[in-house]
Amino acid sequence: MVSILIIIPLLCAFAVFLPVRKLFRGRLFCVVSLIHAGIVTTFWRRLPPAEFNGFLVLDSLGLILLSIISALFLAVSVFMIGYFEHEQRSNRTFTACLLFLLSTMTVVSVSYHMGLLWVMVETTTLFSAPLISFHRTQESLEATWKYLLICSVGIALALIGTFFLAIAAHDTHTLLLPALLNGSSLLSVNWLKLSVIFLLVGYGCKIGLAPTHSWKPETYGQAPGMAAVLMAGVLTQCAFLSLVRVGQICYKAGLNDFYSSILLVMGVLSLVVSATFILGERNIKRAFAYSSIEHMGILVLGIGLGGIGIFGALFHMINNSLAKVIMFLTAGSLAQKYGSSRMNEVQGVIHTYPVTGIFLIASLFAGTAMFPFATFHSELMILNAAVISKQYAVAVLGVVCLALLFMGIARIVLSFFHGQPTEPVLVKKENFFMNAAIAVAVMVLISLGFWMPLFLKKVILDAAALITGMGGPGLRW
Amino acid sequence: MVPWIDASCILIVFFSLTILATYRISGMIQVFAVQSFVLGLMPFFLHADALAGRDVLIALGTILLKAALVPYILFWAIRHVSMRSEVKPLIGFGTSIICGALLIAGAFWVSLSLKLPGKPGSDLIFPCFLATVLLGFLIMVTRTRAVTQVLGYLVMENGIFLFAVSLFDAMPILIEMGILLDIFVAVFIMAIVVNHINEEFERSPVSVSRSKMGET
Repeated sequence: MVSILIIIPLLCAFAVFLPVRKLFRGRLFCVVSLIHAGIVTTFWRRLPPAEFNGFLVLDSLGLILLSIISALFLAVSVFMIGYFEHEQRSNRTFTACLLFLLSTMTVVSVSYHMGLLWVMVETTTLFSAPLISFHRTQESLEATWKYLLICSVGIALALIGTFFLAIAAHDTHTLLLPALLNGSSLLSVNWLKLSVIFLLVGYGCKIGLAPTHSWKPETYGQAPGMAAVLMAGVLTQCAFLSLVRVGQICYKAGLNDFYSSILLVMGVLSLVVSATFILGERNIKRAFAYSSIEHMGILVLGIGLGGIGIFGALFHMINNSLAKVIMFLTAGSLAQKYGSSRMNEVQGVIHTYPVTGIFLIASLFAGTAMFPFATFHSELMILNAAVISKQYAVAVLGVVCLALLFMGIARIVLSFFHGQPTEPVLVKKENFFMNAAIAVAVMVLISLGFWMPLFLKKVILDAAALITGMGGPGLRW
Repeated sequence: MVPWIDASCILIVFFSLTILATYRISGMIQVFAVQSFVLGLMPFFLHADALAGRDVLIALGTILLKAALVPYILFWAIRHVSMRSEVKPLIGFGTSIICGALLIAGAFWVSLSLKLPGKPGSDLIFPCFLATVLLGFLIMVTRTRAVTQVLGYLVMENGIFLFAVSLFDAMPILIEMGILLDIFVAVFIMAIVVNHINEEFERSPVSVSRSKMGET
């Protein structure tokens, strides 16, 4: 079943290059996303069997990511129908790259071989690059270049880490995850430590953790909203899954303190950096990019703190991706309507576009983790984990940074929201499809804030047990 | 075959240093092609006693992609991009060479304290891998043109691949091929982006782009 999920988007990506109408491409993407989502839904009932000699296995961790991938692509495909109604540019390369991305990201979520994981994460980097320069402006091309170069080099470091892991696993003769976990006593500790450092820096660069975050504001600022959603909500989380896979090996090999301490440093640094830089930001997409750095920092912090923090981090993966849908799709729809994302160039959204105005406020609350959005609960869990593990400094710093980020985002969002309405606007009317995609994300995120379904809780608990290698009492909440 | 392996390792580091010291971009690409060719021969030397089909496949793949196709794409990029053919270094060539030499010395010094398990084929593989990666970084950081940055990245990847060929048993051939293919696609996309950047800059006068860049 898993291979079908990989092959369908791949074939359709090639089909997009045929001489077909623009409308057909958009609909094809929609249908593929729907089929993908449909198949993934059946996996919640029963996990599919392993394929390709154990190279492709879907476990609870992968299932969480795969569901996020599916949901976000579905949201973007619906949004795209509306977006391309007012867009002159051809959507051929854009749609093809999206389909390639869907296929390769699916492989990331199911790959059980550390080498295959690297190859696929690198491929996702390559196919996401053309999405950024969709508008072909100088700034967007510069952003694409920066993204390609920084991420390629970062990922190259992860490749070195993967090879060091291969040296550490000299006695197991393979980089298949189950073999590494079962033979964790055979791993050479020094080489494993070295490989963990390289893997964390490499994949951390792809996640956009400080100090290797510099590509993020540029890239998200220039990419169209749809591309930014997929990068902030899925691509970074794919790299995060790779980081968690490394964590699985570390926990099993007894290096969890070493692993956690690096993650704590990276997480805290990301929070501090994003809180510092967001205050001077005047572009809403760039501000949201800093918010993405913050959220990824919180995710990493949760894994680093352990215990309930792991549960919180996995829950936050879902919430973060939904919040990113709300934030970047709203920003993208505003960018199309006004032709700008800068403060003072866009004002009075609530008067001109009442629905988008409401979404703007929703993105403020979702992005800064306010009740009743579920981001509130997951961030609270992670701060709670900091207090439980007696890392009081981390907890206090976290709260201060979150407050600063709230100020930074609120300043920009409210200046967009209020004021004398900007004229003229490029697109006069609200679009049903664009608003529907955002509205569903808002509703799901709010309902998750009020009630977590039992099956979801079970899968997250399973996944947390996979990371630590045990389902201990520390995971209850 | 150990002398051959040693010689190839030294050659690969030497070519990285040559790239660092080359004045023209086309010259850099040519040296890179030769370096990749030597790298492509490595599997033959490493497994000379029991040559398997996969060694031949990796060697051919490396030579075809890295020594032929990638240089071809890079030449295409510099032909279409009407930029001057000289490298624009941030630090002088003399300083670059001294920095490079220091990095090589550092790589050998670090590798003294790292013990590779099993039989790596030659003691020189690890230090040469480290030296090439560091030299690649140096090229990326100190050369400002887009194509030269790609070349720096490629030199770094060559270093990593030198290390990879000596670790065959842990990596299935499909993964090795995937890594090669990824690098090829990366260069392909980078060349296209370089081309687009150039088109955009040609369309509008430089002064406009400068003021726009200042805004963001």
